[in-house]
Amino acid sequence: MRQHGGNSLNLLLFSVEGIDFGIDAEQALGTAAYDGEEAPGLLWFHEELELPTASAVYLTPAIVTVGTRGGGEYRVIIDAMQEITEFYLNELRPLPAIIEPFAMRKGIWGVLPRNGRLTLLLDFVSLFGRREAALFPPPGLPPPGGGELVEAGEDG
Amino acid sequence: MASSDLPLKSELILNELKLRQRTKELVDVEEERVKVIIFTCAAKRYAFYGGDVREFLPACEISWVPGLPDYLPGLINVRGDIESVIDIRPFLGEEKCDGFKGLIAMAVRGDFRSGVMIDSIEDVVDVPQSAIKPPLSTLNGAARDLVLGELEYGRGLVTLLDIGKLADKISL
Repeated sequence: MRQHGGNSLNLLLFSVEGIDFGIDAEQALGTAAYDGEEAPGLLWFHEELELPTASAVYLTPAIVTVGTRGGGEYRVIIDAMQEITEFYLNELRPLPAIIEPFAMRKGIWGVLPRNGRLTLLLDFVSLFGRREAALFPPPGLPPPGGGELVEAGEDG
Repeated sequence: MASSDLPLKSELILNELKLRQRTKELVDVEEERVKVIIFTCAAKRYAFYGGDVREFLPACEISWVPGLPDYLPGLINVRGDIESVIDIRPFLGEEKCDGFKGLIAMAVRGDFRSGVMIDSIEDVVDVPQSAIKPPLSTLNGAARDLVLGELEYGRGLVTLLDIGKLADKISL
């Protein structure tokens, strides 16, 4: 994850089920409104993060396209997306030591205290890195569950 | 020896009493005393060493974080510092806390620091180290891993929990 000028980071902020998240804007290859499509390989954020809710409510859903290290792309449905905002690194906080090993498995690497709330900083590439083989199986192998997935991106 | 030279019985007794008092004071001065904080958790009394608790915070919003075990409900913001919060109930053989409305004890021991959810503070007392007895062998198995000892308080026994053991357990 590159830091702009070494002193700041542009974050794409969004919320799902009242929990605030931020990702490095450079990880978002594109965003689009979600119009109800049910394309294979389209992932719901609350399912990927295993939010403590059986059925999440998305008020203003949007799709963010994220690149993988392997050159693939995946699309995730998020909610309440805000403008990309620049934050100084001294505004960001690391996770407490006893939380970090658990949170890192879900791609959460830090915290942004903001407006009296805590925004969880998420690395989508890290989150999906372990699943990349499943999400983007080598040619000729069907993905788990038999679904068709987005091909490795040429425009990513 | 003339009977008038003999000390009075009252003098003997008084001397004995003074000797006993001096001996007791000497013992009291020499015996190390420790501060313990007695609190309730799941309607039972427990204690921490006072030196392991930096402050108590009122109940505040605990931010959920994905991937955490039940005993780690999330994060709190303490004057700009982000701290973890531990629910010790599962370690004490109790149901995890839902709808938390108690206090958060900020526990610090060496490199370990975290908030610990408690119900309320009962008392802060100085007790002789000798007042802390080894835990009963009949103590609940789940709690036993965290227990340092027991001390009398009021008409009952209070279980003294060890922040160091808690840290070790969490770090495993």
